[in-house]
Amino acid sequence: MSSEVTLKINGRDVRVEKGTRVIEAAKLAGAEIAHFCYHPKLKPDANCRMCLVEIEKMPKLQTSCSTEVAEGMVVETASEKVLDAQKGVMAFLLGNHPLDCPECDQGGECQLQDFAHQYGAMTSPFGEVKRTFEKSYFGPLIEKEMNRCVSCLRCVRYCDEVIGSNALGSMNRGSMHEVGAFARQELDCEFCGGCIQICPVGALTSRLAMFDYRTWQLKKTESICNYCGDGCTLTLEAAKAEITRVSSETGTGRNGGDLCARGFFGYGAVNHESRLTRPVFRLADGMLEVTWQWAFEKASEGLKAVIEKHGPQAVGGVISAQCTNEAVYLFQKLMRETVGTLHVDSGARFGYINAVSALTEVFGSARMASYEDILASDCLLVFAGEMTETNPITALKVKEAVRKNKAKLITVSPYNSRRETYISHLPHLAHRHLQIAVGSESSAILGLTKALLETDPASAIPRPLLEKMKAAVSGISFESIEAASGISEAQFREAAALFRSAQRGVLIVGRSVLRGEAGYQSMLRLAELAMLAGQVGRPGCGMLALAKESNAFGAIEMGGVPEFLPGLQVTVPEARGHTLLEMIDAAGRGEIKALYLVGENPLRSIPQKKVEAALQNLELLICQDLYPTETTDLADIILPACSYAEQSGHFTNQEGEIQKLRAAIDPVGNAKPDWEIFSTLIHALKTKEKRPYQELLGHASADVVWKEAVMAMPQGWPTQKGASPEALSAYAAGAQITWPLPKKVEAAGRFALQVGQSLFHAGRMSTYASGLSTLMGAPAVLIHPEDAEHLGLDPDELVQLSGDSEKEGVRLPVKTSKKIAEGTLFVPEHFALTLKTLLPFTVDETTGVPYGDRGWVVLSKVSVAAS
Amino acid sequence: MPKYELILFKNMAQPGYKGSLEEYRETGGYTALEKVLKDISPAEVIDEVKKSGLRGRGGAGFPTGLKWSFIPKDQVGPRYLCCNADESEPGTYKDRQLMERDPHQMLEGMAICCYAIGAQRAYIYIRGEFDLGAEILERAIDEAYKAKVIGKDIFGSGFNLDISVHRGAGAYICGEETALLESIEGKRGKPRIKPPFPAIHGLYQEPTVINNVETLANVPHIINRGAEWFASIGVGKSTGTRIFSVSGHVKKPGNYEVPMGVTLREMIYEFAGGVRGDKQLKAFIPGGASAPMMKPEHLDTPMDFESVAAAGSMLGSGAITVMDEDTCIVWAATNLMEFFHHESCGQCTPCREGSAWVLQILYRIEQGHGRAGDVDQLEYLCKHIEGKTVCAFGEAEIGPILSSINHFRAEYEQHIEEKGCPFHPNAALSMAH
Repeated sequence: MSSEVTLKINGRDVRVEKGTRVIEAAKLAGAEIAHFCYHPKLKPDANCRMCLVEIEKMPKLQTSCSTEVAEGMVVETASEKVLDAQKGVMAFLLGNHPLDCPECDQGGECQLQDFAHQYGAMTSPFGEVKRTFEKSYFGPLIEKEMNRCVSCLRCVRYCDEVIGSNALGSMNRGSMHEVGAFARQELDCEFCGGCIQICPVGALTSRLAMFDYRTWQLKKTESICNYCGDGCTLTLEAAKAEITRVSSETGTGRNGGDLCARGFFGYGAVNHESRLTRPVFRLADGMLEVTWQWAFEKASEGLKAVIEKHGPQAVGGVISAQCTNEAVYLFQKLMRETVGTLHVDSGARFGYINAVSALTEVFGSARMASYEDILASDCLLVFAGEMTETNPITALKVKEAVRKNKAKLITVSPYNSRRETYISHLPHLAHRHLQIAVGSESSAILGLTKALLETDPASAIPRPLLEKMKAAVSGISFESIEAASGISEAQFREAAALFRSAQRGVLIVGRSVLRGEAGYQSMLRLAELAMLAGQVGRPGCGMLALAKESNAFGAIEMGGVPEFLPGLQVTVPEARGHTLLEMIDAAGRGEIKALYLVGENPLRSIPQKKVEAALQNLELLICQDLYPTETTDLADIILPACSYAEQSGHFTNQEGEIQKLRAAIDPVGNAKPDWEIFSTLIHALKTKEKRPYQELLGHASADVVWKEAVMAMPQGWPTQKGASPEALSAYAAGAQITWPLPKKVEAAGRFALQVGQSLFHAGRMSTYASGLSTLMGAPAVLIHPEDAEHLGLDPDELVQLSGDSEKEGVRLPVKTSKKIAEGTLFVPEHFALTLKTLLPFTVDETTGVPYGDRGWVVLSKVSVAAS
Repeated sequence: MPKYELILFKNMAQPGYKGSLEEYRETGGYTALEKVLKDISPAEVIDEVKKSGLRGRGGAGFPTGLKWSFIPKDQVGPRYLCCNADESEPGTYKDRQLMERDPHQMLEGMAICCYAIGAQRAYIYIRGEFDLGAEILERAIDEAYKAKVIGKDIFGSGFNLDISVHRGAGAYICGEETALLESIEGKRGKPRIKPPFPAIHGLYQEPTVINNVETLANVPHIINRGAEWFASIGVGKSTGTRIFSVSGHVKKPGNYEVPMGVTLREMIYEFAGGVRGDKQLKAFIPGGASAPMMKPEHLDTPMDFESVAAAGSMLGSGAITVMDEDTCIVWAATNLMEFFHHESCGQCTPCREGSAWVLQILYRIEQGHGRAGDVDQLEYLCKHIEGKTVCAFGEAEIGPILSSINHFRAEYEQHIEEKGCPFHPNAALSMAH
């Protein structure tokens, strides 16, 4: 049977796929039918009745959004009868609609305006008193103007069907129908902005930029979001020199047009008044704003002096994993070739290096699964803590796979599976939730591996590897694993069997593994587990490691780490430079004399006293950043860099997709794109005489840099998706598998604390975005309500967290959340806190990744007198 | 002696009959269920109901046996019966009496239907305001479980059936069968777009039959006395008896069970005793608030589905509302529109916006602020609601308006020209709200 049908629309034959809606077929035939409730992302609801058409042999007009095409169907979309009906519906919609288009932020891109215009001049027959609603708000960011609402319920349906948040609903009946927060509660949702984006009229609008623009004044630029490794395509919309709004066109990009709160409401960081806008130079008695000419001269002179005095290995450089591929490529070139040092590292050191190193080691590629694989999978094993908070759009793909495609979901995390707010919570959707003790990921991996090994290991796994794996687990009992993780043998067996039996299983790994103790080893073990379950090496299967930074993958692939040259060419051990921590230590020892930090703030990110001493010990500290930080306060030279919105280039997302950034606005103040600064410095370091810095710029544009970078890549770059058999057999031959012995930690009245990411923030940059700081402006410690009750804590009451030693504690207000397991605490990491100094700090033996996100603390009430 | 044989009202017409299970069984109750469970195949039951010509008593008059036969025979998985006891059509109060006075008659009908369609779970969706009815049904269901006429292995046949009462919360729209399903599922009561129809994707997306109380109450009698007997009552394609709820300006308002096809004249002047105060009849609604109004010239129309439709109205829920010569038609139309505006669910544009708009114009006309062109505008609005809504509510709300304009246009024009209501000089004051 053919999968296509032929129908006639307005006398024209159209051939379309079966299941196509008449409204879509008509569009293909060149006839756009007016509509409001129809949206390609949503199931048809046929409530607006605007898209009525005449279909032969049907006595009544039919809604074209809900009617599927059929062979031989004859459709009229603009007959007299149809136009009369559509005009009638339009008259109904316009009756109560206020004529406030001049002050409506939707004006100019309003479907009601556009479709009303289509019917030509019409005198409104409505001579009655208009029904009015008071303007109200959905929380701090969304304005609700129900007088403009056409009750199409796109917002409600999007929230239910796409986001799965179910935060909105219909209130009241008849002409008093309005959209409201469900059960009239305060809106407590993901604030993805989807309801604003999908509203065809001005009923739901953003309060962030109210009256700041007319839509036609906005200059729109398609680019990539900076706030996590999901790699969402967004449209930066600028009025004058500022980003005023962000949107994402339906269906575009890896995100398909869906955004999260950070993407939609987080743009305010770009034009924040705290941005560094001019180079700054430290004088003996203070800081001096200088010209770029001065800054380039001082920076190159400083570096030259250190190289001359101490040799090139006395210089080190670290670049943020939120810089573009172009920036990272040029930075490592500047360091390795021009300066001649081996010491170059990036922010990917904070965890993602574990993923890329381990996957490359085992499979020969770090591109092991895509979002399409998630959507097509029938079983997902998620080792990712709270994915909705860290990688909201990847979590959206998981939700879609579970809800629409009935995929089975197994989550492994310390969270409760309870959901209490309208924020999605994957453990709540999971078919099996392995609620592990905080920090016991490796025990959980061990449990699953043991269960798979003892029952039904996949046949495709290399024999020598299988033998080694068996040997490694022998002697470790499920009892000891249960004691450490809290998960029983039966639970492990059940979850393992579920994943093993999947036709297309995808393993998703997040920061709880990548930034947890011994993350590199855990990642290797997970790669083995995926092979054991037969979930690699077949289409639709694989592993996806979630990145916190927008370009973590790219920063590694461009050679921004000591272990890899551009294109993931492994450096020989003797030519392997220092990692970030090693550089700090070397600076402390006086071996490294100059550090060039790009978007990195080790004083904050490494909770160790030695960092400050090391930085103080330097002869030259150059900081290139967007905002002043604890580290820039110590810098000799501060270079103001452009944000993602002001520069072009490429980001490589966590799938390994290389995507293009486009500058949406001119640089803020005198800031410069990173690549431009590096390109100038490369030549400034090479020249002896002073020259105007503009003449030193070696690349005409980011595109030129990209071409150079691509030419510099080895053959076979970018790596193909999936495992390479050669790499696999090499790994099988050389692998050494050891498991840390599972051990149970006694709580002894303490709480297990995790420091982690919130949905409303990413790093510290997002705290400069007024939209996001409105949603979360200050840290609080999340605690289970029963624990709070047990301790007699009131909401927002101040508590003190203190560590084992006599170190001074940290004071924070408490908030209760049922998501947080009893006996555990969670604190968001985005605010300047000394909290991490209370937690144990370890460094990965292989990858040098610093770990310090979790540990045991004592929580005590702060007495009123003391505060 | 009643003029016609009572069937549904027979038991409750007996002095002292309380509707308990014991009393019901004394009159032969549950023998029909026992008979089908022991001797008749589901297909034969459906066939019998088809042959009887029984049609839905809720309003639309869809053939019951045919509806049951739409349930897929071989599909595995659950299927459901929902008894529509959300009797909310203004003027209609027949189901209430059937439930309160003889609940087992309906429960037996439900059990037979469930057996025929292969359902093991049935819901009675009862109007929120029916406190007493809900209590009586709960009690009757308890009795039936105890007597094992519902529950597990009924009459040793291996057939299981659970029945529960689900109380509505007062929305008229929940009487619309798909809104009713949404409501049982715990969602906002709003009609679904059709197709798919409930017989394929009904309650919880499973095959579902939705039948009215009176429809189901007829079923045991059809089984006991045969399809031919049932088909011999009434006229043409309208078989059996029908309970008419007569209200308004009559001397003896009430429920009357008569064979289909008696004339409206007989109903109003014989059964209901004629117009109150022997005034002249001005207009009447033959089938509930959503049925178009009729005039005295239609009095000899037989009360069967086809004849009433041919006369331009519908038999609907069988509620006859009578208006005497002192009734202001605009007032009456406004009153009905107030109801429909209040009950519009707000889902689709024409009904949501149109009901409010029409009502505002009616208010103005009745209060003396009518404008030239208002009546045309009312007609325009009604015609742009008609056939363009998600559910039949659109047709329902315009029925009384269009028909009143049709029959009494001059009275509307009079309101507008005289800037006031000839019947209620103080309409503006009395309607102020």
